[in-house]
Amino acid sequence: MVVGCVDMAISAIKNTANKVQQAFYNAMPNFVAGQKADKFYKTAGREISSAENRLILGATALMSQPFIDFYNRTIDEDTRRVAVCRTIAKIIAGTVTGYAVRKGAIKGIQMCSKLPGKDVPKWQTLFTPKDVKKVDTDEFKQYQNALGTFISLGVMLFTNFLIDAPLTKFLTNKLNAKASGGTK
Amino acid sequence: MSLDKVLSNLYKNYGENPGKMLLHTGTAGWILSCAAQVMAIITNDKIAPEQKTFLIPQEIGDGLINILSFYILTSSVKNLASKAVLNGKIANKAIKGYLEKNKLTDKIGKIDFNIKKTENFAEIKEDFNAFKNGVDVLASTAGSILSCNIVTPILRNEYAAKKQVQANEYLAKRREEKPVAQQPYNRITMQGYQSILKSPGMRV
Repeated sequence: MVVGCVDMAISAIKNTANKVQQAFYNAMPNFVAGQKADKFYKTAGREISSAENRLILGATALMSQPFIDFYNRTIDEDTRRVAVCRTIAKIIAGTVTGYAVRKGAIKGIQMCSKLPGKDVPKWQTLFTPKDVKKVDTDEFKQYQNALGTFISLGVMLFTNFLIDAPLTKFLTNKLNAKASGGTK
Repeated sequence: MSLDKVLSNLYKNYGENPGKMLLHTGTAGWILSCAAQVMAIITNDKIAPEQKTFLIPQEIGDGLINILSFYILTSSVKNLASKAVLNGKIANKAIKGYLEKNKLTDKIGKIDFNIKKTENFAEIKEDFNAFKNGVDVLASTAGSILSCNIVTPILRNEYAAKKQVQANEYLAKRREEKPVAQQPYNRITMQGYQSILKSPGMRV
């Protein structure tokens, strides 16, 4: 009885979700990418790895987050000033470290995921899956990006504490001192 | 699980799906980033305790909201865009030509229609995958910009302001309870902060 009711509820939720999705696609106009847009999409899919993604996020964050903190009227002026300074510092430190670590890890994986061959040392095939026969494909490039990104997350366990956090602290204090006219 | 199995799984899962990879690694990245930033505030002696009572909950709230909103918003935007490519709503000229040639135009936009499952899909497979990857990556990026840079900062400020009021009330109460000489208010320690968290209504 209870199981039946749960099943009915799940099915009702799924039906509603499908109806909402269908309504969304009905309202959405058909979009056919022209030659230039098509090329742009394909290049983005091939070239934007997690490193570039982090850079884009950082750049757009600098354009929005400090302003949101600046206009946050729920806190006093002093706290708001520190919050804005820390947000800017956090974005700069996070973006610089995040980009560098991801890019470095992806480059490292690219060096160590070549096809086995006569002149290729074994360490350069360390991360090449055995069932892969071709490495000059988009799929393989995406695989290298994915593995590099996962490894970079491991590296960031350390860099977050060793570089990110102290750099954020340093930049926050510098920016805060400047924002408060050198009095702090 | 052997290293080769892990590598093969990664290749199968993310080789044809960079958008999914950005979503998964992005979520993991935010978790690590949140932990580091909380530590940075706790150990920064130049931020006053009263400001820390705002900034620490702000950071924890920021992290939680960031992780959730990143995952929910980014995956929603990515999935909607991804499905729009699969059902032909978003296409390039080659995909449009394929749908017309195979008399599939009446199925465009139907949520149960998937170009990948059509009979002659092999004809456009390579072109389709490259195009879909691009749409996925751009949708994931747009979703993350929306969640991390607009939704999260607004939500976290509301959340942190509430937490600041609670934390300041708690600190004021403690000041009343302890003699002035015993008040170590030049900095708030991790233990101090945890004791704040353990008080009623401050669990995060």
